[in-house]
Amino acid sequence: MAFIKIETEKLGYAYANSANAKISWVLKDLNLEITAKDYLLICGPSGCGKSTLLRTFNGLIPHFYHGTFRGQVKVAGLITAKHSVAAIFDKVGLLFQNPETQLFNSTVAKEIIFGLESLGLSRKKIKARLEDTTKQLAITNLLSKIPQKLSGGQQQLVALAVILALKPAIILLDEPYSNLDPANADKLRNLLKSIHQQGTGIVICEHRLACTLPDATRLMLLHQGKIEQDGSPQKLINSLFSFHALELPLAVKVARKLKLNPAPLDTASLQKIISRNKLPIELRTIPPSHDPVKKARPLLEVKGLSFLPKKKAVLKDISFKLFAGECMAIVGPNGAGKTTLIKNIMGLNRSHKGRIQIKGQDINEQKVSQRAGQIGIAFQNPDNQFFKLTVKEEIEVGAKILNRFDKKWIAWLINLFCLHPLLERSPFTLSGGEKKRVAFAAALAAKPIIFIMDEPTAGQDAFFRHSLIKLIKQLKSLELGILLITHDLAFAESSAGRWLVLNNGQAAFPGDPWQIMENKKIMGQAGLKATDSFQLFGNKNA
Amino acid sequence: MLDPRTKLALTFYGAIIIIMSSSLKYLGFEAGILIIWIIIYRQGLIYLRWLKLVLPMSLFFGVITWWTAGLMAGEIAALKLLTLTTIFFVFFLFQEPEDLANSLVKAKMPYPIAFVMAASLQFVPVINRRAKAVIDAQRSRGIPIYPGWASFRHYPAFLMPLLIQTFQMAEDLAEAMEARGFSRPGRTFYKEYQLKILDWVLIAGGLPGLLGYFYILDLCQ
Repeated sequence: MAFIKIETEKLGYAYANSANAKISWVLKDLNLEITAKDYLLICGPSGCGKSTLLRTFNGLIPHFYHGTFRGQVKVAGLITAKHSVAAIFDKVGLLFQNPETQLFNSTVAKEIIFGLESLGLSRKKIKARLEDTTKQLAITNLLSKIPQKLSGGQQQLVALAVILALKPAIILLDEPYSNLDPANADKLRNLLKSIHQQGTGIVICEHRLACTLPDATRLMLLHQGKIEQDGSPQKLINSLFSFHALELPLAVKVARKLKLNPAPLDTASLQKIISRNKLPIELRTIPPSHDPVKKARPLLEVKGLSFLPKKKAVLKDISFKLFAGECMAIVGPNGAGKTTLIKNIMGLNRSHKGRIQIKGQDINEQKVSQRAGQIGIAFQNPDNQFFKLTVKEEIEVGAKILNRFDKKWIAWLINLFCLHPLLERSPFTLSGGEKKRVAFAAALAAKPIIFIMDEPTAGQDAFFRHSLIKLIKQLKSLELGILLITHDLAFAESSAGRWLVLNNGQAAFPGDPWQIMENKKIMGQAGLKATDSFQLFGNKNA
Repeated sequence: MLDPRTKLALTFYGAIIIIMSSSLKYLGFEAGILIIWIIIYRQGLIYLRWLKLVLPMSLFFGVITWWTAGLMAGEIAALKLLTLTTIFFVFFLFQEPEDLANSLVKAKMPYPIAFVMAASLQFVPVINRRAKAVIDAQRSRGIPIYPGWASFRHYPAFLMPLLIQTFQMAEDLAEAMEARGFSRPGRTFYKEYQLKILDWVLIAGGLPGLLGYFYILDLCQ
């Protein structure tokens, strides 16, 4: 299969139709060649054209999207513009960003069989491929399950199995790690590595470079629709990344600082060649341990909270306190009960046991609308809330309904989240990061004293992450209590002074991030991995 | 195991019986048989959840009919709609949509129509989950979305995000299907669909069975 390659020649694409005078090109005159030998990592800031480029490789652009297409893409010698997607889908397989919407059959087995039936294979061959693929990914136990009811990590594996069964020469993956917890991310990483070793090309677009950079054989930086750099990661890491929209793995930052050649691309490789006392200590992430955990009354206190729908313990005996001016992270794997916990705090789920208090006042009997004045939540998907015609109206609507509208406060929020240029735009037309900022402002519009963010960094680039860390600092200075729900431990380490580890609905250990990461038992049980910074530098006393 | 087409034919026979039944007694008897079936197969809870959706619709239909054609007609209309939807509930309880679609393709239905019909059914629970997420997000910022007239003016806050997401999901689904060769000619089917003797007996025997049922009803009157 190694002879199959993807070639582009002066490839350009714009989502607008060519009749539009102000055409904005997402891809600009790209010339490149990808073979099945490559493990290609395409990186770049949000909106640089990564997902668009992947869609040109399997013909979805221009057949499915009707913007302006120029130049050409060839897959195994077939010009995509002249051949349908169905004619090339077995040569390059695309794993979309959201696995939930790409699984549309009633069982996992049927999901895998669907593509094989499209290929026109005999029953015998379909059966053989089904067995091979499910064994390779160790998902034989899922065959009779309903795909929509699987966890995010399992759905990602099934979506990969669907493509692998087709035996494509090259697999394209669009941000596959964005919603995976560390354990599932590791599993996927190892699988992709072994698939590549078996001779299948991998092309992956990803912000989480730590999961991909060490395995990649080729690195491409896309910026504003153009290829800025293309080559081996080893050669490029010293000249690359002049702007901070890319989150370099810590090992690479250290290697650059110490001018190591060849540069190690992951923590394990770095640890092999350099001792801890020679590491540049200024690169260590220090959690905001000076958070003012006051002896005064906590803003929020949860005591012995349990949630047992259908007699299944989704949350068991959770207790913690959140203080004014503090950011506390609730960390844990996918499905640990993190989002369920915030729904219980908000009153969206009715807790079966336990008490919730705000400033010492019991709120168990309060309605959601009463709690909404004191607690602001920004859920993971901002699209769930947008319904107004402009960003300005979207920010103000909740505060107005709650009779807590304060013009000066709204103006301050607009300033804080840099929303001035967006105020008259429709929220539906914004980028992912812009939508998140609008959702944060909307959640804070009613002047709550507690602010909860649910997986704020999922699918976001480094520029967004760095801005969010600064924003959290500013919000803390206003004496707000912030609860951060995340499985992104590196982000939690930078922004939260205390962590509460949640696993299988049980809160294991509220405390200092470094203390928690030192506790291998708790980390292992929750499927969490210590951050690169902690692995390299150890705890405070090291 | 019966062929999906046989199950579909039997369901249609049952639907004809329900449509033709014009007294509360017979409709109650037919609904009773279906409910016993649901209970035997331990699907009562799922049915109750589903009833929460269908019951208000049936009552609404019944009230409209009562208003225009009298109380008895209203009661019959409501029960008829409820029983009719219940028989299709039972059908989909025992029939996976793709199998039905594939067997209909075998019976010369165009593949795209059959499959899109089947795939749409898979997304009902997904849309349900999204609807709950939208309600949670809006209620969390003080927008009261509850059933009933009191929060009627806030319904755009529920409907707009849900509609937009549903359209987006339909686009994503179409894209995913195309990326897996949906429109490629020469599709084969892993599962074989063949009408066996029992299928033919039931399909062919259903018609005289229908006539026999109505004959007995006639005698009872």
